Formats: sequence, C-alpha cells, structure tokens
Amino acid sequence: MTPTTEERRRQFEAEALPHLDAVYRYAHTLAGDPTQAEDLTQETMLKALRAWHQFERGSNARAWLLTILRNTFINEYRRRQHQGETVDLAGLEPYHVFREVQEVDPEGRFFANIVDDEVLRAIGALPEEFREVVWLSDVEGFPYAEVARLLEVPIGTVKSRLFRARHALQQRLYDYAVEMGYVKRRAS
Amino acid sequence: MSAAPRSIDCREAVERLYEYLDQELTPEVRAEVEHHLRSCAGCFRHFDFERAFLRFLEARARGRGAGPEVKQRILRELFGPEEA
Ligand SMILES: [Zn+2]
Repeated sequence: MTPTTEERRRQFEAEALPHLDAVYRYAHTLAGDPTQAEDLTQETMLKALRAWHQFERGSNARAWLLTILRNTFINEYRRRQHQGETVDLAGLEPYHVFREVQEVDPEGRFFANIVDDEVLRAIGALPEEFREVVWLSDVEGFPYAEVARLLEVPIGTVKSRLFRARHALQQRLYDYAVEMGYVKRRAS
Repeated sequence: MSAAPRSIDCREAVERLYEYLDQELTPEVRAEVEHHLRSCAGCFRHFDFERAFLRFLEARARGRGAGPEVKQRILRELFGPEEA
C-alpha cells in the first residue's frame, strides 16, 4: 500500500465511515427495501472513497455522502424502484391533530406507543419529494439551507414540503393510534 | 440591552411554529415568539405538542441503521478481506 493510499484510507475511515449508518438509513428511505439499501450504500461508499480527493476537508462529510447517494439513486436506481402506496397530501388541515387531542392528550403521550416500524412505514408512504425533506430535516437534522442545497430546491420549497409532510405523518400516525386504542378520538 | 420584543398574536406565533422549533428564526423573531409563548398557554401547549412529535419522529426513525453484517460486507468491499 502506498503512503498516499494509506493516508487517504485513514482520512476516509475517520471522516466518512462514521456516517455509514446515516447513508444506509437514507438509502433505505429512498430505495424502500434493505437489499437495495445495502447495494446503494456500498456503491455510495465506493464512489466516495474513489472521489475522496474531491472532498473539501472540513466541510460536512455527511451532506457530501448523502449527495453522492442521492445522485446514485436518481441515476441508477429510481427506474427500478418499486412504487408502493403513496398518501395524498392535498387537503390537510393545518394542525388538525393537535386540535383533536388537546383535551385528552395535549402532550402527545400516545406517540410513545407507536413502534418504529409503523413510523418508518408512514414515512415510506409519503411521495418521494416529501419523504426526502422530512428525512433530511427531521431524522438527519440538517438545517433548511443544507436540505435545500442537497435537494437543489429553494428554501421556501423545503419549508412548504416539510409543513405538509409533517402534517401528513402526524395525521396518519394519529389515525393509527386511534385505531390501536392508544388515544380516544374526540367526540364530535 | 435591546428593546422589548414586538408583540405578536396567536396566528403569527403559529405561523412561526416550525421555524421556531427548527431553530431557523433570527434572534429578534425568536424573542417575539418566546414573548408570546410566555403569555399564551394555548400556544405554549401547541408548541410543546409539536416539539414532542418531532422528537418522537426522530427517535423512531433513527433506529434503522445498517446491521453489523451489512457493515462488515461493505467494509470488505471497500478495503478488501483484511477488514473482515
Ligand atoms: Zn397564542
């Protein structure tokens, strides 16, 4: 192994590998199944390793990796992607769920009963452009500007998609919680 | 010391709700929202509820990482069999 290769590998291990979970999570969110998520993660990390000299040291490595991932997905995977159910985001009444529960459970304690899989299913059912925004913002915690850069859309678009995606998720998870008996639907 | 924050109503406070929770407001607007929340129990509860929802969402969704076998396979692919 040449010193440069070794050096490159050390840097990659220190700065890129800690984000392997984030890459895999986002891959799973985009691709929708674990097998494709693994392939996509592997391909992303390989590309990143090869392109490591292009990474601007000191900038956000996670954002850089997720950009590579997203481009790979769009160029090579989207065509093969299985289109599952998608929810309709039109006609959501703002903050409807809070109004429904503010008398019975204003702190949203019922959420604690909802398991991971149900939440991931709900996110997976969002149309892709909403799923991405909610994932990057709410799961990965990127600020609006970073999400906008990653997705190549204006900040205003990030905000409006986030607004609708959060409302759609909340409504779906609330309906689920009612169905499961975790919270009582308000008598009308 | 800066001047007291401008007074805003519930509608304006709720319009800023997500930007507030996402820490995307300027310090002045943030102060306006906080000023309103101190005097409005209804908005305070609403903001609290939305914050709880976002925390819940993050906690549930972050659980899905790559398992150890997946990581091993990827590392092997990246650096060769010595890593396994
Ligand atoms: Zn208010």
